[in-house]
Amino acid sequence: MMSFEYNGVEIEDTFAEGFAMWGTRIIITAKNRKWANIAAAEMTGFATSVIACDCEAAVEREIPPEETPDGRPGVAVMMFGFSKKRLSAPMLNRIGQCVLTCPTTAIFNGIPEEEADDMLDVGASLRFFGDGYQVKMRMGDGWQESQRYWRIPVMEGEFLAEAKFGAKKAVAGGNFLIMGVDEDSTLEASERSIEAIHTVPGVITPFPGGLCRSGSKVGSKYAFLKASTNTPFCPTIKTSFPESQVPEGANCVIEVVLNGLDEPSVMKAMAVGIRAATEVPGVKRITAVNFGGKLGKFNLGLKEALEDA
Amino acid sequence: MKELWLTPTALPSIPVEAEVICPDVVAGRTLKDVSSLEVYVGNKTHILGEFFEVEGELAEQASEQMIVVDGTCQTVKYIGAKMTAGSVHVKGCAGMHAGSQMSGGEMLVEGNTRDWAGAEMSGGLLRIQDDSRNMTGGAYRGSPEGMTGGCIVVEGDAGVELGSFMRRGMIVVKGDVAPFCGVHMNGGEIFIMGQAARRLGAEAKGNGGFIACLGGVDEILPTYVHETTYKPTFMKLYMRQLRDVLGLEEAARFLETPFRRYVGDLAVGGNCEILVAEK
Repeated sequence: MMSFEYNGVEIEDTFAEGFAMWGTRIIITAKNRKWANIAAAEMTGFATSVIACDCEAAVEREIPPEETPDGRPGVAVMMFGFSKKRLSAPMLNRIGQCVLTCPTTAIFNGIPEEEADDMLDVGASLRFFGDGYQVKMRMGDGWQESQRYWRIPVMEGEFLAEAKFGAKKAVAGGNFLIMGVDEDSTLEASERSIEAIHTVPGVITPFPGGLCRSGSKVGSKYAFLKASTNTPFCPTIKTSFPESQVPEGANCVIEVVLNGLDEPSVMKAMAVGIRAATEVPGVKRITAVNFGGKLGKFNLGLKEALEDA
Repeated sequence: MKELWLTPTALPSIPVEAEVICPDVVAGRTLKDVSSLEVYVGNKTHILGEFFEVEGELAEQASEQMIVVDGTCQTVKYIGAKMTAGSVHVKGCAGMHAGSQMSGGEMLVEGNTRDWAGAEMSGGLLRIQDDSRNMTGGAYRGSPEGMTGGCIVVEGDAGVELGSFMRRGMIVVKGDVAPFCGVHMNGGEIFIMGQAARRLGAEAKGNGGFIACLGGVDEILPTYVHETTYKPTFMKLYMRQLRDVLGLEEAARFLETPFRRYVGDLAVGGNCEILVAEK
Protein backbone atom coordinates (compact mmCIF):
# COMPACT_ATOMS: atom_id res chain seq x y z
CA MET A 1 0.00 0.00 0.00
CA MET A 2 1.17 3.52 -0.77
CA SER A 3 2.16 5.60 2.19
CA PHE A 4 3.51 9.04 3.03
CA GLU A 5 5.36 10.50 5.94
CA TYR A 6 3.91 12.96 8.40
CA ASN A 7 5.91 14.28 11.37
CA GLY A 8 8.29 11.41 10.74
CA VAL A 9 5.58 8.77 11.02
CA GLU A 10 4.49 6.54 8.16
CA ILE A 11 0.85 7.17 7.24
CA GLU A 12 -0.78 4.71 4.89
CA ASP A 13 -2.57 6.36 2.00
CA THR A 14 -5.87 4.71 2.74
CA PHE A 15 -9.25 5.67 4.06
CA ALA A 16 -11.58 5.02 6.93
CA GLU A 17 -14.92 3.80 5.73
CA GLY A 18 -17.65 5.89 7.30
CA PHE A 19 -21.31 5.05 7.11
CA ALA A 20 -24.51 7.04 7.47
CA MET A 21 -26.31 7.26 10.78
CA TRP A 22 -28.68 9.70 12.44
CA GLY A 23 -27.15 11.77 15.18
CA THR A 24 -28.48 14.00 17.91
CA ARG A 25 -27.16 16.13 20.74
CA ILE A 26 -28.71 16.29 24.19
CA ILE A 27 -27.72 18.87 26.78
CA ILE A 28 -27.94 17.52 30.31
CA THR A 29 -27.84 20.05 33.12
CA ALA A 30 -27.89 19.54 36.86
CA LYS A 31 -27.47 21.36 40.14
CA ASN A 32 -23.72 20.96 39.90
CA ARG A 33 -21.11 19.45 37.62
CA LYS A 34 -20.95 16.24 39.63
CA TRP A 35 -24.57 15.29 38.90
CA ALA A 36 -24.44 16.46 35.30
CA ASN A 37 -21.45 14.22 34.70
CA ILE A 38 -23.05 11.28 36.51
CA ALA A 39 -26.17 11.53 34.36
CA ALA A 40 -24.11 11.82 31.18
CA ALA A 41 -21.97 8.82 32.13
CA GLU A 42 -25.04 6.72 32.85
CA MET A 43 -26.75 7.77 29.67
CA THR A 44 -23.79 6.97 27.46
CA GLY A 45 -22.96 3.64 29.10
CA PHE A 46 -22.86 0.50 26.96
CA ALA A 47 -23.09 2.51 23.77
CA THR A 48 -19.75 1.87 22.08
CA SER A 49 -20.85 0.20 18.88
CA VAL A 50 -24.08 -0.80 17.19
CA ILE A 51 -22.50 -4.20 16.72
CA ALA A 52 -24.07 -5.10 20.05
CA CYS A 53 -25.40 -1.87 21.58
CA ASP A 54 -28.69 -0.16 20.84
CA CYS A 55 -26.89 3.03 19.80
CA GLU A 56 -23.52 4.74 19.85
CA ALA A 57 -23.18 7.53 22.35
CA ALA A 58 -20.63 9.54 24.24
CA VAL A 59 -20.01 12.84 25.92
CA GLU A 60 -19.12 15.55 23.44
CA ARG A 61 -18.03 18.17 25.97
CA GLU A 62 -18.78 19.79 29.29
CA ILE A 63 -20.75 23.01 29.00
CA PRO A 64 -20.21 25.94 31.38
CA PRO A 65 -23.28 27.30 33.18
CA GLU A 66 -23.33 30.51 31.16
CA GLU A 67 -23.94 28.51 27.97
CA THR A 68 -26.77 26.26 29.18
CA PRO A 69 -30.46 27.18 28.91
CA ASP A 70 -31.03 27.08 32.66
CA GLY A 71 -27.67 28.51 33.74
CA ARG A 72 -26.52 25.33 35.46
CA PRO A 73 -23.49 23.17 34.64
CA GLY A 74 -24.13 21.00 31.64
CA VAL A 75 -22.83 18.18 29.52
CA ALA A 76 -23.42 17.72 25.81
CA VAL A 77 -24.10 14.11 24.94
CA MET A 78 -24.33 12.84 21.38
CA MET A 79 -26.16 9.73 20.28
CA PHE A 80 -26.17 7.93 16.95
CA GLY A 81 -28.55 5.34 15.53
CA PHE A 82 -29.10 3.72 12.15
CA SER A 83 -32.47 5.39 11.60
CA LYS A 84 -34.60 8.02 13.27
CA LYS A 85 -36.63 5.27 14.89
CA ARG A 86 -33.52 3.42 16.05
CA LEU A 87 -32.23 6.66 17.47
CA SER A 88 -35.35 7.87 19.23
CA ALA A 89 -35.98 4.50 20.90
CA PRO A 90 -32.66 4.38 22.78
CA MET A 91 -32.98 8.10 23.48
CA LEU A 92 -36.27 7.50 25.22
CA ASN A 93 -34.93 4.49 27.12
CA ARG A 94 -31.73 6.15 28.19
CA ILE A 95 -33.30 9.47 29.13
CA GLY A 96 -36.01 7.63 31.00
CA GLN A 97 -33.71 5.29 32.91
CA CYS A 98 -30.54 7.33 33.29
CA VAL A 99 -31.45 11.02 33.35
CA LEU A 100 -35.03 11.16 34.63
CA THR A 101 -33.81 9.08 37.56
CA CYS A 102 -30.73 11.18 38.28
CA PRO A 103 -31.22 13.88 40.93
CA THR A 104 -31.60 17.52 39.83
CA THR A 105 -31.15 16.93 36.10
CA ALA A 106 -32.91 18.54 33.14
CA ILE A 107 -32.45 17.96 29.41
CA PHE A 108 -32.44 20.32 26.46
CA ASN A 109 -32.16 20.00 22.72
CA GLY A 110 -28.64 20.53 21.44
CA ILE A 111 -29.37 20.87 17.72
CA PRO A 112 -31.61 23.82 16.84
CA GLU A 113 -34.44 23.14 14.41
CA GLU A 114 -32.86 25.26 11.66
CA GLU A 115 -29.73 23.07 11.75
CA ALA A 116 -31.56 19.75 12.06
CA ASP A 117 -32.74 17.45 9.30
CA ASP A 118 -35.65 16.38 11.46
CA MET A 119 -36.99 16.84 14.95
CA LEU A 120 -37.53 13.80 17.19
CA ASP A 121 -40.52 14.22 19.48
CA VAL A 122 -39.09 12.22 22.36
CA GLY A 123 -41.12 14.23 24.85
CA ALA A 124 -44.35 12.86 23.39
CA SER A 125 -43.47 9.50 24.94
CA LEU A 126 -41.28 10.64 27.80
CA ARG A 127 -44.13 12.66 29.31
CA PHE A 128 -46.06 9.50 30.18
CA PHE A 129 -43.63 8.89 33.03
CA GLY A 130 -45.61 11.68 34.73
CA ASP A 131 -48.63 9.37 34.85
CA GLY A 132 -51.05 12.13 33.95
CA TYR A 133 -49.55 14.81 36.21
CA GLN A 134 -47.05 16.04 33.65
CA VAL A 135 -47.33 19.69 32.64
CA LYS A 136 -46.76 20.94 29.12
CA MET A 137 -44.74 24.11 29.18
CA ARG A 138 -44.80 26.52 26.28
CA MET A 139 -42.39 29.40 25.87
CA GLY A 140 -42.25 32.20 23.34
CA ASP A 141 -45.61 31.61 21.67
CA GLY A 142 -46.18 34.33 19.11
CA TRP A 143 -43.26 36.55 19.99
CA GLN A 144 -40.18 34.37 20.06
CA GLU A 145 -39.24 31.02 18.68
CA SER A 146 -41.72 28.61 20.25
CA GLN A 147 -40.23 26.15 22.68
CA ARG A 148 -41.96 23.19 24.23
CA TYR A 149 -41.01 21.38 27.40
CA TRP A 150 -42.47 18.77 29.67
CA ARG A 151 -42.41 19.13 33.42
CA ILE A 152 -42.61 15.67 34.94
CA PRO A 153 -43.16 15.34 38.68
CA VAL A 154 -40.54 13.16 40.37
CA MET A 155 -39.97 12.41 44.05
CA GLU A 156 -37.07 14.83 44.28
CA GLY A 157 -38.98 17.66 42.59
CA GLU A 158 -39.55 18.05 38.90
CA PHE A 159 -37.81 16.77 35.79
CA LEU A 160 -37.71 19.33 33.00
CA ALA A 161 -37.32 17.93 29.49
CA GLU A 162 -37.42 19.72 26.19
CA ALA A 163 -40.04 18.09 23.97
CA LYS A 164 -38.21 17.80 20.66
CA PHE A 165 -34.62 17.08 19.77
CA GLY A 166 -32.92 17.91 16.52
CA ALA A 167 -31.48 15.00 14.54
CA LYS A 168 -29.08 15.13 11.62
CA LYS A 169 -27.94 12.74 8.97
CA ALA A 170 -24.52 12.04 10.38
CA VAL A 171 -21.33 10.11 9.75
CA ALA A 172 -20.17 7.18 11.85
CA GLY A 173 -17.20 4.90 11.57
CA GLY A 174 -14.43 7.45 11.28
CA ASN A 175 -11.29 5.73 12.49
CA PHE A 176 -7.56 5.38 12.42
CA LEU A 177 -5.17 2.84 13.89
CA ILE A 178 -2.08 3.86 15.82
CA MET A 179 0.69 1.29 15.71
CA GLY A 180 3.53 1.74 18.16
CA VAL A 181 6.61 0.02 19.37
CA ASP A 182 5.07 -0.72 22.76
CA GLU A 183 1.98 -0.27 24.89
CA ASP A 184 3.23 2.88 26.64
CA SER A 185 3.94 4.89 23.51
CA THR A 186 0.84 3.67 21.67
CA LEU A 187 -1.45 4.43 24.60
CA GLU A 188 0.07 7.86 25.10
CA ALA A 189 -0.30 8.67 21.42
CA SER A 190 -3.89 7.45 21.50
CA GLU A 191 -4.73 9.53 24.56
CA ARG A 192 -3.25 12.63 22.94
CA SER A 193 -5.34 11.91 19.87
CA ILE A 194 -8.50 11.80 21.92
CA GLU A 195 -7.66 15.07 23.65
CA ALA A 196 -7.17 16.70 20.27
CA ILE A 197 -10.32 15.19 18.78
CA HIS A 198 -12.42 16.57 21.62
CA THR A 199 -11.51 20.10 20.56
CA VAL A 200 -13.60 19.57 17.41
CA PRO A 201 -17.31 20.35 17.92
CA GLY A 202 -19.88 17.82 16.79
CA VAL A 203 -17.65 14.75 17.18
CA ILE A 204 -17.65 11.96 19.75
CA THR A 205 -15.48 8.95 20.41
CA PRO A 206 -17.88 6.31 21.76
CA PHE A 207 -15.41 3.62 22.85
CA PRO A 208 -13.86 3.44 26.33
CA GLY A 209 -11.85 6.60 26.73
CA GLY A 210 -12.38 7.01 23.01
CA LEU A 211 -10.21 4.00 22.22
CA CYS A 212 -10.90 0.55 20.88
CA ARG A 213 -8.07 -1.87 21.55
CA SER A 214 -9.78 -4.88 19.99
CA GLY A 215 -10.63 -3.34 16.70
CA SER A 216 -13.35 -5.12 14.80
CA LYS A 217 -13.93 -6.76 11.50
CA VAL A 218 -17.14 -7.89 9.86
CA GLY A 219 -17.94 -11.56 10.48
CA SER A 220 -15.88 -14.36 11.99
CA LYS A 221 -15.17 -17.99 11.46
CA TYR A 222 -18.10 -18.70 13.76
CA ALA A 223 -21.48 -18.48 12.06
CA PHE A 224 -23.21 -17.09 15.14
CA LEU A 225 -20.82 -14.15 15.52
CA LYS A 226 -21.35 -11.19 13.22
CA ALA A 227 -18.13 -9.41 14.17
CA SER A 228 -14.81 -10.35 15.69
CA THR A 229 -11.55 -8.69 16.68
CA ASN A 230 -9.47 -7.20 13.93
CA THR A 231 -7.06 -10.14 13.73
CA PRO A 232 -4.91 -8.70 10.92
CA PHE A 233 -3.86 -5.98 13.35
CA CYS A 234 -3.29 -8.12 16.46
CA PRO A 235 0.47 -8.07 17.21
CA THR A 236 0.41 -11.21 19.34
CA ILE A 237 -0.46 -13.27 16.25
CA LYS A 238 1.36 -11.26 13.65
CA THR A 239 3.51 -14.20 12.64
CA SER A 240 0.96 -16.97 12.90
CA PHE A 241 -1.80 -14.96 11.20
CA PRO A 242 -1.02 -15.27 7.49
CA GLU A 243 -2.38 -11.86 6.42
CA SER A 244 -1.15 -9.83 9.36
CA GLN A 245 -0.81 -6.12 8.67
CA VAL A 246 1.22 -5.30 11.77
CA PRO A 247 4.50 -3.77 10.59
CA GLU A 248 7.91 -4.86 11.72
CA GLY A 249 8.76 -3.29 15.06
CA ALA A 250 5.17 -2.59 16.08
CA ASN A 251 3.92 -4.43 19.13
CA CYS A 252 0.75 -2.58 20.05
CA VAL A 253 -2.16 -1.25 17.97
CA ILE A 254 -5.02 0.91 19.21
CA GLU A 255 -7.94 2.12 17.16
CA VAL A 256 -9.50 5.54 17.53
CA VAL A 257 -13.16 5.50 16.47
CA LEU A 258 -15.22 8.60 15.98
CA ASN A 259 -18.67 9.68 14.90
CA GLY A 260 -19.66 13.17 13.85
CA LEU A 261 -22.62 15.23 12.80
CA ASP A 262 -21.11 15.80 9.36
CA GLU A 263 -18.24 14.63 7.17
CA PRO A 264 -16.06 17.77 7.48
CA SER A 265 -16.17 17.52 11.28
CA VAL A 266 -15.10 13.87 11.19
CA MET A 267 -12.32 14.62 8.71
CA LYS A 268 -11.06 17.50 10.83
CA ALA A 269 -11.19 15.38 13.97
CA MET A 270 -9.26 12.59 12.26
CA ALA A 271 -6.63 15.07 11.14
CA VAL A 272 -6.07 16.65 14.54
CA GLY A 273 -6.07 13.20 16.13
CA ILE A 274 -3.49 11.82 13.74
CA ARG A 275 -1.35 14.91 14.09
CA ALA A 276 -1.36 14.62 17.88
CA ALA A 277 -0.44 10.93 17.69
CA THR A 278 2.52 11.55 15.42
CA GLU A 279 4.06 13.85 18.02
CA VAL A 280 4.66 10.92 20.38
CA PRO A 281 7.95 9.02 19.92
CA GLY A 282 7.49 5.33 19.26
CA VAL A 283 4.58 5.57 16.84
CA LYS A 284 5.56 3.49 13.82
CA ARG A 285 2.65 3.70 11.48
CA ILE A 286 -0.92 5.00 11.23
CA THR A 287 -3.54 3.47 9.02
CA ALA A 288 -7.32 3.18 8.84
CA VAL A 289 -9.86 0.42 8.53
CA ASN A 290 -12.10 0.00 5.53
CA PHE A 291 -13.91 -2.76 3.76
CA GLY A 292 -13.22 -1.74 0.22
CA GLY A 293 -16.19 0.57 0.14
CA LYS A 294 -18.72 -2.20 0.83
CA LEU A 295 -19.81 -0.96 4.24
CA GLY A 296 -20.39 2.76 3.94
CA LYS A 297 -20.56 5.59 1.49
CA PHE A 298 -18.00 7.87 3.15
CA ASN A 299 -14.37 7.36 2.18
CA LEU A 300 -12.54 9.35 4.82
CA GLY A 301 -9.01 9.49 3.40
CA LEU A 302 -6.15 10.03 5.82
CA LYS A 303 -4.13 12.04 3.31
CA GLU A 304 -7.14 14.19 2.38
CA ALA A 305 -7.94 14.78 6.03
CA LEU A 306 -4.41 15.94 6.82
CA GLU A 307 -4.24 18.09 3.69
CA ASP A 308 -7.62 19.72 4.40
CA ALA A 309 -6.68 20.44 7.97
CA MET B 1 -37.30 50.65 8.90
CA LYS B 2 -39.15 53.72 7.59
CA GLU B 3 -40.70 56.09 10.12
CA LEU B 4 -44.11 57.70 9.82
CA TRP B 5 -44.58 60.47 12.38
CA LEU B 6 -48.03 61.33 13.66
CA THR B 7 -48.14 64.39 15.89
CA PRO B 8 -51.45 65.00 17.67
CA THR B 9 -52.74 68.49 17.01
CA ALA B 10 -56.28 69.02 18.26
CA LEU B 11 -57.71 65.87 19.78
CA PRO B 12 -61.36 66.16 20.82
CA SER B 13 -62.57 65.22 24.28
CA ILE B 14 -64.69 62.45 22.70
CA PRO B 15 -62.52 59.43 21.90
CA VAL B 16 -61.16 59.02 18.38
CA GLU B 17 -61.36 55.49 17.03
CA ALA B 18 -58.19 55.24 14.97
CA GLU B 19 -57.46 51.62 14.13
CA VAL B 20 -55.79 53.04 11.02
CA ILE B 21 -52.74 53.86 13.16
CA CYS B 22 -51.31 50.50 12.25
CA PRO B 23 -48.35 49.54 10.03
CA ASP B 24 -50.53 47.16 8.01
CA VAL B 25 -52.91 49.98 7.08
CA VAL B 26 -50.40 52.70 6.23
CA ALA B 27 -47.74 50.63 4.44
CA GLY B 28 -47.82 51.04 0.68
CA ARG B 29 -49.73 54.34 0.83
CA THR B 30 -48.70 57.95 0.32
CA LEU B 31 -48.65 60.59 3.05
CA LYS B 32 -51.71 62.16 1.48
CA ASP B 33 -53.55 58.84 1.57
CA VAL B 34 -52.61 58.36 5.20
CA SER B 35 -53.91 61.83 6.09
CA SER B 36 -57.18 60.93 4.44
CA LEU B 37 -57.72 57.66 6.30
CA GLU B 38 -61.05 57.58 8.07
CA VAL B 39 -61.36 57.73 11.83
CA TYR B 40 -64.48 57.91 13.95
CA VAL B 41 -65.49 60.38 16.62
CA GLY B 42 -68.79 59.48 18.18
CA ASN B 43 -71.13 58.85 15.26
CA LYS B 44 -69.21 61.11 12.89
CA THR B 45 -66.58 60.14 10.34
CA HIS B 46 -63.45 62.25 10.16
CA ILE B 47 -60.03 61.93 8.61
CA LEU B 48 -56.76 61.26 10.43
CA GLY B 49 -55.25 64.51 9.17
CA GLU B 50 -57.79 66.51 11.20
CA PHE B 51 -56.23 65.30 14.43
CA PHE B 52 -52.64 64.49 13.51
CA GLU B 53 -49.91 66.13 11.56
CA VAL B 54 -48.70 63.40 9.20
CA GLU B 55 -45.09 63.33 8.02
CA GLY B 56 -42.21 60.96 7.47
CA GLU B 57 -41.66 58.00 5.18
CA LEU B 58 -43.86 55.12 4.20
CA ALA B 59 -42.67 51.59 3.48
CA GLU B 60 -44.06 49.13 0.99
CA GLN B 61 -44.33 46.38 3.57
CA ALA B 62 -45.78 46.56 7.06
CA SER B 63 -42.73 44.79 8.40
CA GLU B 64 -40.58 47.76 7.34
CA GLN B 65 -42.92 50.37 8.72
CA MET B 66 -42.56 52.15 12.03
CA ILE B 67 -45.21 54.57 13.24
CA VAL B 68 -44.20 57.12 15.83
CA VAL B 69 -47.07 58.84 17.62
CA ASP B 70 -45.37 61.90 18.97
CA GLY B 71 -47.46 62.83 21.97
CA THR B 72 -50.06 61.69 24.44
CA CYS B 73 -53.23 60.19 22.96
CA GLN B 74 -55.27 58.98 25.90
CA THR B 75 -58.48 59.51 23.95
CA VAL B 76 -57.27 57.75 20.80
CA LYS B 77 -58.51 54.18 20.73
CA TYR B 78 -57.19 51.14 18.87
CA ILE B 79 -53.67 52.37 18.19
CA GLY B 80 -51.78 49.39 16.79
CA ALA B 81 -54.87 47.21 16.91
CA LYS B 82 -54.70 44.13 14.66
CA MET B 83 -51.15 44.92 13.56
CA THR B 84 -49.30 41.91 12.15
CA ALA B 85 -45.81 43.33 11.70
CA GLY B 86 -43.72 46.46 11.93
CA SER B 87 -43.52 48.75 14.89
CA VAL B 88 -45.57 51.39 16.70
CA HIS B 89 -44.00 53.77 19.19
CA VAL B 90 -46.27 56.04 21.22
CA LYS B 91 -44.30 58.79 22.91
CA GLY B 92 -46.91 59.29 25.58
CA CYS B 93 -50.10 57.59 26.70
CA ALA B 94 -52.41 55.52 24.52
CA GLY B 95 -56.18 55.13 24.69
CA MET B 96 -58.32 52.02 25.02
CA HIS B 97 -57.65 48.86 23.00
CA ALA B 98 -54.02 49.75 22.26
CA GLY B 99 -52.42 46.78 20.51
CA SER B 100 -55.59 44.75 20.84
CA GLN B 101 -55.74 41.67 18.64
CA MET B 102 -52.23 42.32 17.37
CA SER B 103 -50.55 39.23 15.96
CA GLY B 104 -47.03 40.43 15.26
CA GLY B 105 -44.59 43.30 15.39
CA GLU B 106 -43.74 45.46 18.36
CA MET B 107 -45.58 48.24 20.10
CA LEU B 108 -44.08 50.50 22.71
CA VAL B 109 -46.12 52.94 24.78
CA GLU B 110 -44.00 55.29 26.85
CA GLY B 111 -46.91 56.33 29.04
CA ASN B 112 -49.89 54.43 30.33
CA THR B 113 -52.69 52.67 28.51
CA ARG B 114 -56.42 52.53 29.19
CA ASP B 115 -58.58 49.41 29.27
CA TRP B 116 -58.19 46.42 26.97
CA ALA B 117 -54.57 46.99 25.99
CA GLY B 118 -53.38 43.89 24.14
CA ALA B 119 -56.79 42.29 24.44
CA GLU B 120 -57.02 39.02 22.52
CA MET B 121 -53.49 39.47 21.29
CA SER B 122 -52.07 36.48 19.42
CA GLY B 123 -48.51 37.54 18.69
CA GLY B 124 -45.92 40.27 18.89
CA LEU B 125 -44.61 42.30 21.78
CA LEU B 126 -46.52 45.08 23.54
CA ARG B 127 -44.52 47.07 26.05
CA ILE B 128 -46.19 49.64 28.26
CA GLN B 129 -43.73 51.71 30.25
CA ASP B 130 -46.27 52.92 32.80
CA ASP B 131 -49.57 51.60 34.17
CA SER B 132 -52.09 49.66 32.17
CA ARG B 133 -55.73 49.76 33.16
CA ASN B 134 -58.27 46.98 33.26
CA MET B 135 -58.59 43.84 31.15
CA THR B 136 -55.06 44.06 29.80
CA GLY B 137 -54.53 41.03 27.55
CA GLY B 138 -58.06 39.93 28.34
CA ALA B 139 -60.90 38.48 26.32
CA TYR B 140 -63.64 40.68 25.00
CA ARG B 141 -66.98 39.96 26.62
CA GLY B 142 -68.48 36.81 25.20
CA SER B 143 -65.21 35.58 23.75
CA PRO B 144 -63.92 32.21 25.03
CA GLU B 145 -60.23 33.11 24.64
CA GLY B 146 -58.16 36.13 25.59
CA MET B 147 -54.51 36.20 24.68
CA THR B 148 -53.43 33.30 22.49
CA GLY B 149 -49.83 34.36 22.00
CA GLY B 150 -47.37 37.20 22.18
CA CYS B 151 -46.01 39.08 25.13
CA ILE B 152 -47.21 42.08 27.12
CA VAL B 153 -44.87 43.86 29.48
CA VAL B 154 -46.39 46.41 31.86
CA GLU B 155 -43.72 48.33 33.69
CA GLY B 156 -46.20 49.98 36.07
CA ASP B 157 -49.33 48.56 37.71
CA ALA B 158 -52.17 46.70 35.98
CA GLY B 159 -55.91 46.86 36.56
CA VAL B 160 -58.51 44.18 37.14
CA GLU B 161 -58.92 41.03 35.07
CA LEU B 162 -55.42 41.06 33.66
CA GLY B 163 -55.14 38.12 31.25
CA SER B 164 -58.72 36.98 31.60
CA PHE B 165 -59.44 33.83 29.59
CA MET B 166 -55.76 33.74 28.64
CA ARG B 167 -54.87 30.75 26.47
CA ARG B 168 -51.21 31.22 25.56
CA GLY B 169 -48.52 33.87 25.58
CA MET B 170 -46.95 35.81 28.40
CA ILE B 171 -47.80 38.86 30.50
CA VAL B 172 -45.28 40.47 32.81
CA VAL B 173 -46.20 43.21 35.26
CA LYS B 174 -43.42 44.96 37.13
CA GLY B 175 -45.80 46.63 39.54
CA ASP B 176 -48.93 45.52 41.36
CA VAL B 177 -52.01 43.93 39.84
CA ALA B 178 -55.64 44.47 40.82
CA PRO B 179 -58.08 41.61 41.64
CA PHE B 180 -59.08 38.79 39.33
CA CYS B 181 -55.77 38.51 37.55
CA GLY B 182 -55.85 35.43 35.30
CA VAL B 183 -59.55 34.84 35.82
CA HIS B 184 -60.70 31.92 33.64
CA MET B 185 -57.09 31.43 32.56
CA ASN B 186 -56.53 28.31 30.43
CA GLY B 187 -52.84 28.46 29.57
CA GLY B 188 -50.11 31.05 29.23
CA GLU B 189 -47.91 32.67 31.83
CA ILE B 190 -48.39 35.71 34.02
CA PHE B 191 -45.54 37.14 36.06
CA ILE B 192 -46.27 39.72 38.73
CA MET B 193 -43.25 41.38 40.26
CA GLY B 194 -45.27 43.59 42.60
CA GLN B 195 -48.14 42.66 44.87
CA ALA B 196 -50.95 40.50 43.48
CA ALA B 197 -54.40 41.37 44.74
CA ARG B 198 -56.95 38.77 45.84
CA ARG B 199 -58.88 36.32 43.71
CA LEU B 200 -56.14 35.76 41.19
CA GLY B 201 -56.69 32.67 39.09
CA ALA B 202 -60.40 32.50 39.86
CA GLU B 203 -62.04 29.76 37.79
CA ALA B 204 -58.77 29.10 35.98
CA LYS B 205 -58.61 25.71 34.31
CA GLY B 206 -54.87 25.47 33.89
CA ASN B 207 -53.74 23.63 30.80
CA GLY B 208 -50.12 24.43 31.55
CA GLY B 209 -50.89 27.99 32.56
CA PHE B 210 -49.48 29.58 35.68
CA ILE B 211 -49.32 32.82 37.59
CA ALA B 212 -45.98 33.58 39.21
CA CYS B 213 -46.20 36.04 42.09
CA LEU B 214 -42.72 37.37 42.73
CA GLY B 215 -43.66 40.21 45.03
CA GLY B 216 -46.26 38.62 47.26
CA VAL B 217 -49.97 38.00 47.14
CA ASP B 218 -52.85 39.36 49.23
CA GLU B 219 -54.56 35.99 49.53
CA ILE B 220 -54.94 32.73 47.68
CA LEU B 221 -58.43 31.52 46.92
CA PRO B 222 -59.51 28.64 49.17
CA THR B 223 -60.14 26.61 46.04
CA TYR B 224 -56.37 26.43 45.45
CA VAL B 225 -54.40 23.79 47.34
CA HIS B 226 -50.82 24.17 48.49
CA GLU B 227 -48.72 21.32 47.06
CA THR B 228 -45.14 22.02 48.05
CA THR B 229 -42.37 24.56 48.24
CA TYR B 230 -39.52 23.92 45.84
CA LYS B 231 -37.05 25.45 43.39
CA PRO B 232 -38.50 24.75 39.96
CA THR B 233 -35.88 24.35 37.24
CA PHE B 234 -38.28 25.67 34.64
CA MET B 235 -38.51 28.98 36.48
CA LYS B 236 -34.82 29.55 35.79
CA LEU B 237 -35.61 29.53 32.07
CA TYR B 238 -38.30 32.14 32.50
CA MET B 239 -36.24 34.34 34.80
CA ARG B 240 -33.39 34.28 32.31
CA GLN B 241 -35.84 35.12 29.53
CA LEU B 242 -37.21 38.07 31.52
CA ARG B 243 -33.71 39.30 32.25
CA ASP B 244 -31.97 38.62 28.96
CA VAL B 245 -34.74 39.07 26.39
CA LEU B 246 -37.04 41.60 28.04
CA GLY B 247 -34.35 43.46 29.96
CA LEU B 248 -36.05 43.02 33.35
CA GLU B 249 -32.94 42.82 35.51
CA GLU B 250 -34.99 42.29 38.69
CA ALA B 251 -35.80 38.79 37.49
CA ALA B 252 -32.25 37.69 38.23
CA ARG B 253 -33.06 37.89 41.94
CA PHE B 254 -35.46 34.97 41.58
CA LEU B 255 -33.16 32.52 39.81
CA GLU B 256 -32.55 30.56 43.00
CA THR B 257 -35.75 31.44 44.86
CA PRO B 258 -38.00 28.69 46.20
CA PHE B 259 -41.65 28.96 45.21
CA ARG B 260 -44.81 27.83 47.00
CA ARG B 261 -46.83 25.86 44.48
CA TYR B 262 -50.63 26.10 44.61
CA VAL B 263 -52.93 24.29 42.19
CA GLY B 264 -56.54 25.13 41.32
CA ASP B 265 -59.09 26.41 40.74
CA LEU B 266 -60.69 23.29 42.15
CA ALA B 267 -64.08 24.97 41.84
CA VAL B 268 -63.86 24.23 38.13
CA GLY B 269 -61.59 21.17 38.31
CA GLY B 270 -58.63 23.22 37.16
CA ASN B 271 -54.91 22.54 37.45
CA CYS B 272 -53.66 26.09 37.00
CA GLU B 273 -50.58 26.85 39.08
CA ILE B 274 -49.96 29.84 41.28
CA LEU B 275 -46.31 30.02 42.21
CA VAL B 276 -45.51 32.41 45.02
CA ALA B 277 -41.89 33.35 45.57
CA GLU B 278 -40.67 32.81 49.13
CA LYS B 279 -39.31 35.96 50.69
